[in-house]
Parts: sequence; structure tokens; C-alpha cells
Amino acid sequence: MLERVGARRVLLIAALAVAVLVGTVAATNLQSQAVYYLTPSEAKAQGVGAGQAIRLGGLVKTGSMSSADLRGASDFRFVITDGSVDVQIVATGAIPGLLREGAGAVVEGAFVADGTFHATQVIAKHDEVYTAPKAGATPAHRTAP
Amino acid sequence: MTETTIPRGNTLPRIRPWLGIAAAASFVVASVMALFWAPTDAVQGDVYRILYVHVPLAWLAYLAFVIVFLASVGWLWTKRPFFDAVAVASAEIGVLFTGLFLVAGSIWAKPTWGVWWTWEPRLVTTAIMFVMYVGYLLLRGLSTDFSRRANRAAVFGIIAVIDVPIVHLSVLWANSLHQLPTVLRAAGSPALDSSMLLTLMVSLFAYTLIYTYFMSARVSLERARQGRLWTT
Repeated sequence: MLERVGARRVLLIAALAVAVLVGTVAATNLQSQAVYYLTPSEAKAQGVGAGQAIRLGGLVKTGSMSSADLRGASDFRFVITDGSVDVQIVATGAIPGLLREGAGAVVEGAFVADGTFHATQVIAKHDEVYTAPKAGATPAHRTAP
Repeated sequence: MTETTIPRGNTLPRIRPWLGIAAAASFVVASVMALFWAPTDAVQGDVYRILYVHVPLAWLAYLAFVIVFLASVGWLWTKRPFFDAVAVASAEIGVLFTGLFLVAGSIWAKPTWGVWWTWEPRLVTTAIMFVMYVGYLLLRGLSTDFSRRANRAAVFGIIAVIDVPIVHLSVLWANSLHQLPTVLRAAGSPALDSSMLLTLMVSLFAYTLIYTYFMSARVSLERARQGRLWTT
């Protein structure tokens, strides 16, 4: 039993020391270990093979996206780019309404033999900026094709 | 046990009803502002309004866990049972708020990102925070000896707080999905319209009052339990 105040203070100092230690390890290692997705360049550099399940992330290349009519169709197509490497995505399933050209996206799936990427899940990324729409503008989430 | 001071009196009993009224009133004002007064968002439309619930709850959860940390240090340093009461009260409210902001975030994620959940750094570190503080509450159930329970909980409460800054900073890691901080951003002024910022601040004020009200009620309940512990 730690009944004396002195013993408790030892406990306090020990707890603070463990906290600092854990914090330091977490701050220096977690950041490099936790990889949510690969960019097209990283996937190329790591030689990700066909059929290997990965997440791929980047920007939707301007002018590469299928017409919005095809959202939810079996082959919704767009290109994900990181500026140097482009990957042609063929997506099945629901396409988020916020998926836009020039904005970020993450796809889950795998490369197929011809080098295209078959995505079973498309995740749209949005930024931290919030602003009222300009007069007469249509909000992006329901932009017509 | 003999060295421990016997708790007496309640925490803020006189002003508590007024605190409750102020919390409820400001919550109504914040909700009306968030739903009707703040403009819609140019990119996301109306769904972004979840921000006015999600963000204040998240900040208050951070605050709650920092207070668990401070109260834990206070208990180990001074042996005053008051600090243990504050720690357990704040941990319970923090777990509640974390659960709520996870649910709110999930409801926001589905129509914007397209998924209810994904194993992204911010989401994973938040889930860890939630589980750790649920663990903190379970740990408190493992001993009926007051001082042993308080000591164990305090050590855990000091170590667990490490995840709070990790959760906050996880959005800055490379290759993540969650958007960056809007208000406390590195680039200077908040990235939202002034009417949106005002609505967020009113919401934050309302949730802070709710937290304070819950704390006042829960701490006084814990003090009453402590009092029974020493008089029976």
C-alpha cells in the first residue's frame, strides 16, 4: 500500500516519466509507420503487384473523370495522380458525391494485369476550408455533369 | 485511510440549477444558429453543419482528458480525495463526448467521404483514445480500496493523456484522409467565414457550459459517495 505521500510522489514521477517516454516513442515512430495509402509514385517504387490489395491516394486528374451520370455504374473511370505518376482507376460501387476533378481521393482495390487499378471503394477527400457559396453558384456536391 | 481528509460539502450546489439553465439556453441558441443562421457550405452543402456538433464535442473531450491528467497529478501529489472525484467525473464525461463525436464524425463521413469509417490516422488514434478511457473507467472497478483504486487510476490517467496531442496532430501526418484543423491552423486565420466561426464559438461556449454542469453534478455525486465511504 502506498499510504505515505512520499511514495505517491514517486508513483507520480514514475507515471510522468512513462508518459514522456511513450509520447516520445509515439511522436518519432508512429508518423512514419502509419501509412494509410500509397501515392502512385510510392506504389510504383515499391513494385506493388497485380492483385495486391492496397489503398491508393492522390488528386483526381482534371478532365479524366467519367460523366456524373455513370456514378454507381460498374465502370466509373478517373485518373489519380500525384503530379508525376498517373494511375487509371476503374471503380465499382457507390461514388461519393464529393468526388471532384482536382480534389483528393483515396481508392481501395488492386492493380490488374494491364496496369489499371480496380477500385472497390472510392473515398473522397475534402479540405478544411468552409465558406458560403457565391451568389448564383451551385454547390459542388450537386454539380451537374 | 486515517490520513485522508474526510470530504465535506458539495460542489457549487447553489449555482448548479442556473448553470443548467444557462447550458440549456446556450445549447438552444447554438443549435438555431448552426441550423438556420450559419450559411451553407460551398463544397459540402448543408451536411457540413455537423461541424457545429462534432468539433466542440471533440475539443471538450480533449479538455476533459487533460483535466483527468491534472486531477490525477493532484491526487498523487496532495492525497486530497477531491482530485480523484474530479478525475473520475471528467473521464466519464470525456468518454461520453468522445463516443458522441465519433458517431457525429461517422454520420458526417458517410455523405462526404463515402464511408462510415476507415482506418485513417485521426480515426484510429481517436478510437484508441476512446478505448483507453473506457479502460480507465473499467480499471476503477477493479479495486474497492479507495486509495489503491485512486492511485492506479491516477497513473493510468497521467499516461493516457499522451494520446490527446497525438489525436490532434495525426491529421498532419503524410497520406491521411481527415481534413486539417480549420481554426487552430498553422497558416494563420481560421479557414471559415466569420458567421461560421461565430456559430462555432457559440456552440463551443454551449458545450463548455454543458461540460461544466455535468462536472459539477458528477463531482458532487462522487463527493457524496466518498463521504459515505468514510462515515460508515
